[in-house]
This record gives sequence, structure tokens and C-alpha cells, in this order.
Amino acid sequence: MTGQKPPPDNRGDDGPTPPDSGAGMTAVTYLIAGMLVWGGVGWLVDRHFGTEGIFAGIGAVLGIAGGVYLIVRRLGA
Amino acid sequence: MIVQSAVLAAEFPPSVEDFYLPSILPWGAENNYWFTKITVLVWVAVAAIIVFFLASYRKPQLVPTKKQWFAESIYGFVRNNIAVDMIGPRGVAFAPYLTTLFLFILVNNFFGIVPFVQISPNSHIAFPAILAVISYVMFIYIGMRHHGPLKYFKHALIPPAPWFILPLLIPIEFFSNFLVRPFSLAVRLFANMFAGHMLLLVFTLGGFAMISANPALAPVSVLSWVLTIGLTFLEFLVICLQAYVFTVLTASYVQGALADEH
Repeated sequence: MTGQKPPPDNRGDDGPTPPDSGAGMTAVTYLIAGMLVWGGVGWLVDRHFGTEGIFAGIGAVLGIAGGVYLIVRRLGA
Repeated sequence: MIVQSAVLAAEFPPSVEDFYLPSILPWGAENNYWFTKITVLVWVAVAAIIVFFLASYRKPQLVPTKKQWFAESIYGFVRNNIAVDMIGPRGVAFAPYLTTLFLFILVNNFFGIVPFVQISPNSHIAFPAILAVISYVMFIYIGMRHHGPLKYFKHALIPPAPWFILPLLIPIEFFSNFLVRPFSLAVRLFANMFAGHMLLLVFTLGGFAMISANPALAPVSVLSWVLTIGLTFLEFLVICLQAYVFTVLTASYVQGALADEH
């Protein structure tokens, strides 16, 4: 079992952050969350004004754009 | 014979009702779910984990016995391959919690394929939900302790962006960091265990349904039961994977809470 070597015993703040800590999951969550949140807001606006879904569409597109922006800022270099 | 006719009498297709097992205490009471097979299984799982670790660490040897080696391997796996890999050096402090979580989920999931037990407590949303709440409260608490409450929420909610996009981004951050996380943790585990149990039920009961509908379908019934065995092995894969995924995601959330601004 080569995996049994105990890690170096520095428990402080030093040491590099691990390279991949669930970044893929976070990215997918951002995309879906963006679409759902702003699409949902648009849907509510649609219901309020009685429109056919134009605001939901705009909201979803804006939300995806926000999600992509967040991925770039939070997960990009 | 009695068992067989009970299986034959079980209705097909299986429904959610099949997850609500009869009450044990008081014996056979209707609509009473305080003490059922599920309750027993959870206690058995907890007792088994505690007893196993107490027994294997009672007299630790420098050259480990087989039991001690096994216990150390599990702990070493979670500590080195999950805690430290995901969180970094600070992850060692979280290894005990993550190992407990991992083993609790693993053993409870495993009941889903143990012959004659064959239902996992985690196929009831209550258990994954409570586990998710524990992880959720823990990573928020850790973040607040590490950064201070105000700074933590500022760090978690306000991304580095020009002010005019912030109104667009903050709801997304809130949604994905504080609403989706506990929900997806709980639902992922629950749905996998629920679907697995349902799948095995469909294939087993389907075999009986076919053979009792028309004896000429007997070969198909046999095929269905053979597939049940195959699916049980697939279930084993799902069981281990879901225990691992739940632990890894918890570790990843803790890492996010501890991460420094950059």
C-alpha cells in the first residue's frame, strides 16, 4: 500500500492548495444555478405582466452569462 | 413455501409503499414507523462501526494485525486520498469526521445488497437529509470561524467583479453555494439508493409476476432473476461510489469555506 504514507505534518496555512477540489462540479452548478435563478425571476415577471415567456427567456440567457462570468472569475486563473 | 407465497402475493409493479416496512415495536401496528427494520439497520450499522474500530484499535501493534491493518487502511484512505487531497494539509483535522461519514454511508448503503436484508436506510430521504444538514452547518460554521462571519459571507457571496454586474451575480452565488449544495447532497444519495432498491424489486417481482401470469414465460423469469444478480453487483459499485462522492463533496465544501481570497 503505497497510499499509506502519512502526509507531511504541517497543519497550518502553508502548503499549496490542492489543484482540483471539485472544480468541475462547481462549474456545472454555476451554469445551472444561473439559468434557474434568473430564468425563475423572468418567469415571475412574465406571470406578473401576463407575457408569454419573453422575460423567462431573457432571464435564462442573462443567468447563463452570469454563470459563465462567475466560472471565469472564480475558477479561472 | 410461506416466504415464496408471500413474494408471489407481493403486488407488481412495486411502489413507494414497499419502502415502508411493517412496525416492529409495537409489533405489526398499522402506519407506525417509529421502530421498523430501517431503525434496526441504522443501529446495527452504528454498532458495527463502533465495535469494529474499538476492537481493532484496542491493542495497536507496530506491525498491525489483519484487523488493525484494515481499519488503518480505511482511515488512511479517507485521510490521505480525500481529506488531504481535497483540503490540503489542514484536511487532517477533518479526517475523523470524513471517515465517520464515509463509513456510516457505506455500511448503510451496503444493506441494500446484503441477502435477506436488501433495503438501505438511505433509500429514505430522512437519513441523507440529516447527513447533508450536518455537513452544511459544519462548512458554514467552519467558514465563519476561519474568516469571521461577515467576511465569510462577503467572500462566499460577492465575487471579484465590477459593481454593475454584482446584482446579477450575487443571487447566482447564493443559490449555488447555500441552496443547491445541501439539496444536491441529500437528493443524490437518496435517489441512488431509492432507484437501486426499486430496480432490484422490479426485476425480482417481475420474474414472479411473469411466471404466475403464464408458465410459458418461465425462461424469461429466470433471465430476469439472473439479471437481478448482475444488477446487485452494479449496485455494489453505486454503493461505494455514492459513499465516496458524498464524502468528497463535503470535503470540497469545507475546502471552499477555508479558501483564502485571491
